[in-house]
Amino acid sequence: MTLKPPPLTLAILVTALGVPLAFALGLLSGSSGWGWPAHDIFWLIRLPRVLAAFGTGAALALAGALIQLVTRNPLGDPHILGVTSGASVGALLLMLLASGMVLAPELGAVAGALAAMTLVFALSWRSMGRGLSPSAQPGTVVVLLVGVMIGAACSAAVSFMLTVANDTQLRNIVFWLLGDLNGASLWWPVWLACIVAFMLSWPRSQELDWIARGDAWAWTLGVPVARRRRMAIFAACLATGTAVATAGSIGFVGLVAPHIVRLTGLRHARMLLPFSALFGGVFLVLADTAARTLVAPTQLPVGVISACVGVPLFLMLLLRRKG
Amino acid sequence: MNPAYPLQLDQLRLHAGGKPDGRILIAELSLTMQAGERWVLLGPNGAGKSTLLLAVAGLLQPNAGNIRLDGRKLADWRAEELARQRAWCPQFWLDPFPVTAWETVACALLATHPEQAASAVEAQARQWLKEFDVGMLADRDVRTTSGGERQRVALATACAQGAPLLLLDEPVSHLDWSHQSLLQARLKRWSQQGGLVLTAIHDLNLAWTLATHALLLDGKGDTLHGPKEQVLQAEALSAAYGVPVHIREEDHTRWFRIELEQTT
Repeated sequence: MTLKPPPLTLAILVTALGVPLAFALGLLSGSSGWGWPAHDIFWLIRLPRVLAAFGTGAALALAGALIQLVTRNPLGDPHILGVTSGASVGALLLMLLASGMVLAPELGAVAGALAAMTLVFALSWRSMGRGLSPSAQPGTVVVLLVGVMIGAACSAAVSFMLTVANDTQLRNIVFWLLGDLNGASLWWPVWLACIVAFMLSWPRSQELDWIARGDAWAWTLGVPVARRRRMAIFAACLATGTAVATAGSIGFVGLVAPHIVRLTGLRHARMLLPFSALFGGVFLVLADTAARTLVAPTQLPVGVISACVGVPLFLMLLLRRKG
Repeated sequence: MNPAYPLQLDQLRLHAGGKPDGRILIAELSLTMQAGERWVLLGPNGAGKSTLLLAVAGLLQPNAGNIRLDGRKLADWRAEELARQRAWCPQFWLDPFPVTAWETVACALLATHPEQAASAVEAQARQWLKEFDVGMLADRDVRTTSGGERQRVALATACAQGAPLLLLDEPVSHLDWSHQSLLQARLKRWSQQGGLVLTAIHDLNLAWTLATHALLLDGKGDTLHGPKEQVLQAEALSAAYGVPVHIREEDHTRWFRIELEQTT
């Protein structure tokens, strides 16, 4: 199959139109219908929520793209690192034990994410540097398995907490677990994390591409593979942890946004990282807008919408290309 | 291209996988390879050919002894300096994401010559693909090429890196006869321009025509090395491979054959 040159100009044009459009849609639609919202609703509810949605989507998509590159695994997903599950345990603990506390789930999630991230790094620090020899087990497999194991342990803890929670708590917990932007007022931490992750990884995007093509081979080209891998995984953990703390565990965006960007022809990390983030952001703003307007005044968890829209969209792009 | 630095193996000891408790592949090996030489690395499956190539590439720490390039231990070279001195072409490629053939070659060009303009890099990458008769695949996704085509893209990539020491791991495993001969011509030109080639290979007839020197591993620790005439001998080959190898010599060319009836 012949690959066309990346449609960079088109992508910039679409982004320049798409981002403002998504923001406009998100800001102008609400549970009470269309139109310019009241001053307070706009500044205190609508705008922070749209910003939080964009930042969360961007952070997850960027993390997904990074994980896929450095683990050389197209099925890489930010939630595979165990950070999300760690954050869930932290958030649920505080929701159960200190439900009255300000920002209870958020702070718990940050603590949980940090704990899981520390554990991932402590357990797989050496493995991340290994795996240069093709005969040895690739170090990245160890990172993924450590992440999966941490995730499994945390899932058990989550199941336990679900059984001991009362009905009100249970509803909150389930919404949080599904991914929910309702009441996400603190929008800037995820933006900050996303920007930091981007600034760490983007200058090295060419080297990340080479690592994706072969980590041992990249090393023979002069790339400090172990350092780049740790950097990318750190950036992905940071972005994922803050995204989950902001909006709960929203699936799908992190796995699929990079693939959708790749299917449009933007396949180099140099373009893949920024456009995945932008696409993820726009996607989640639109999904959240749908989530809070479709069956208003009831708000759906955004994770439901993102899967409902994203799965067919991805399959359509995938099958069209193969045919 | 600068002439290759001499490559010295100094009392080298290698175990399987580089692990201390691994099977001994090379007990002790000392030799020097010089610019202009073409070395074939021979031996049965699992004898340590790829492991030795990994060690020489700097990807695996020898269990004892040293590998020196220009008299300096490999471990003392910075990775980016080493990239300009040696190119390593592995046996297997796994391409998880879409990328064109010319972009694959361009990686190697950019790694060693990052200052070049993008258009110059692309032109050179396409030229290298033509050198290996895969110019028509330049814009193809490497994941949709055939085994032999992918191998030629990989060989073009290794050469494009511009490092005089070429380490090739079974570079002809997927190549048809005409492209085996093309590779041979390219490697001969490479060494005549001051390069040094070290390649693992299984086809003894091809090894004979390609090489100036040979290194034979028996997989149990013993090695035999030197000019090809001294290494590619019936007795040593038969012992290493465990099957009787017959040689017919015609006009200074040796033809190698094994008795298939003997192997059941």
